[in-house]
Amino acid sequence: MQKKTIVIDPVTRIEGHAKITIDINENNEVEDAKIHVTQYRGFEKFCEGRPYTEMPALTARTCGICPVSHVVSATKAIDEILGVTPPKAGVNIRKIVNLAQMLQSHTLNFYHLSSPDFIYGFDAPQEDRNIFKMMQTHPQMARDGINLRAFGQKIIEDLAGKRIHPTGIIPGGASHKIEESTKEKILEEVPAMLKIAQSALEFFRENLHKFQEEIDYLGSFPSLFMAITNDEGTLEHYDGKLCFMDSEGNILKDNIEPRDYKEYIGEAVETFSYLKSPYYKPLGYPQGMYRVGALARVNIAKTCGTPIADKELIKFKALNDGKPVLNTFYYHYARLIEMIYAIEKIEELLKCDETMSDNVRSTSTVSYEKGVGCSEAPRGTLFHEYHVAKDGIITGVNLIIATGNNNLAMNAGVKQVAQRFVDPKNITDGALNRVEAVIRCFDPCLSCSTHALGIVSSSVEIRDHNKKVIQVIDRS
Amino acid sequence: MRVIIGYGNELRGEDAFGVDTIKELQKLNLKNTKLLSMHQLTPEIVLKLLDADEIIFIDASYDEKNHYALACSLTEQNNLNLSHHISPKTIIHILKSLYKNVPSFFVYSMISKSFEKIEDQKRYKKCIDMLVKNLAPKEDKVILE
Repeated sequence: MQKKTIVIDPVTRIEGHAKITIDINENNEVEDAKIHVTQYRGFEKFCEGRPYTEMPALTARTCGICPVSHVVSATKAIDEILGVTPPKAGVNIRKIVNLAQMLQSHTLNFYHLSSPDFIYGFDAPQEDRNIFKMMQTHPQMARDGINLRAFGQKIIEDLAGKRIHPTGIIPGGASHKIEESTKEKILEEVPAMLKIAQSALEFFRENLHKFQEEIDYLGSFPSLFMAITNDEGTLEHYDGKLCFMDSEGNILKDNIEPRDYKEYIGEAVETFSYLKSPYYKPLGYPQGMYRVGALARVNIAKTCGTPIADKELIKFKALNDGKPVLNTFYYHYARLIEMIYAIEKIEELLKCDETMSDNVRSTSTVSYEKGVGCSEAPRGTLFHEYHVAKDGIITGVNLIIATGNNNLAMNAGVKQVAQRFVDPKNITDGALNRVEAVIRCFDPCLSCSTHALGIVSSSVEIRDHNKKVIQVIDRS
Repeated sequence: MRVIIGYGNELRGEDAFGVDTIKELQKLNLKNTKLLSMHQLTPEIVLKLLDADEIIFIDASYDEKNHYALACSLTEQNNLNLSHHISPKTIIHILKSLYKNVPSFFVYSMISKSFEKIEDQKRYKKCIDMLVKNLAPKEDKVILE
């Protein structure tokens, strides 16, 4: 038997463009599998030479799905450069907008990208595993997804100016205060949105028993977890210190100031992907593999800090007797908890008197040559580091994008699922769907992670040990 | 009610055709017409289209040939690969299957080979004017004149 490689190119129902290769050895067994991110745009380079004031708008263009995260991290980095502390109202507006984005992004993943697998199963015909079939068989669920996303998008538009590439989050705080009428409209919708999010979580939990094999083999392995945490140890998406936890729940290092991230995070480069591979420096590469995003956040958080989400977190943590949940499939579960949390937290922040203050922005001029902004994006911890000259011109940029943090873990997940489900003698559509599904668990935003934009179609290539394509399977 | 949706990226040259056309239409104060301007089509915009009996989508589409031609294109990307932005046809499908609304619809697309800048301002503007003329009912135009 000759060695050969199966290529899934591109991976479908994710944000951006990637392909997966599966190497088959002489014994007709899956030997290895990798995800290749094949886009490149180079934001870090072309931001150099621009005024620092442009950075929120420029870096927001990295992505059409999570521009708020880039704006938040960018403005936080500039806050450091200016040496300003935004007023409480400005911070709370940023937090609300960030949570609204989290909600609409998680909603997109659950309802539009992943739920067809939950409803019809991973082995269902490909023509049935999509939102159009879901609209026929589960119309209320499809409407729920649209309503929840609309709720999140409207908050972003009302508080930050635009749904995509918002302009209202600015260095020093926010551009304008929240109007009372806006606040009331959002609060009116909260009960209905909470009900939708809770029913989504209930649906997921009720169907979990159908997917035990996927839970066990779609990327179930020990790894570190990283997220930002606050002093109370509650779920945090806007500010705090970095924390690394191991797979047993031991804290390896916490209280790391985001500006010191380079002391703990290295970035390896592999020839097969434009996506860099960050790792926890003290353990080296690739042993320092860690996961970020919803699963990491709920594993590290002691509580959510909101009533309904806290009840759900207790059930979640019981899955592994209080130790970190290691199953990548449960990213979906964690995102659903975060959706509930986001709605509750938005309500809490809106009801806070300080949020409605007229004082939403602090101003200053360039005071420091370097700034690091860090926040939790839907897909994980996001870093923006800028260096500026005294005249405010950007001289250097380093971005660690949420999805990039998961690169090593995504590769480990792809390998595990390929070894479990792909039979080289009989390559089924269901098996290939599971290989893609492990990537969807991470909900990667590959356009962000390489700061590039791609297209999506689908084909599978089988290559021999010399990487020569010997078979192509169309999956579009 | 008629809804006209212009979508595109104003930072990408002629990709802004739909958005720029909406700006011109806004000056006409058209009766019984809702104008929407957006970066891209997303699933939740269907909630703004529930009362529409006619929807007009205005976009730019890339082609090396026939630059500045106005076309009606329904070429559909793969439905199965739904992402955060969707096509006019998908919008219509969602309206029909989830909200029992079956509006008539048209897609006006200006063919462009330049998403970096507006290559020929005069021809670009002429395309906008032609489309505006086509979309504005005579009685509305009379009022304006």
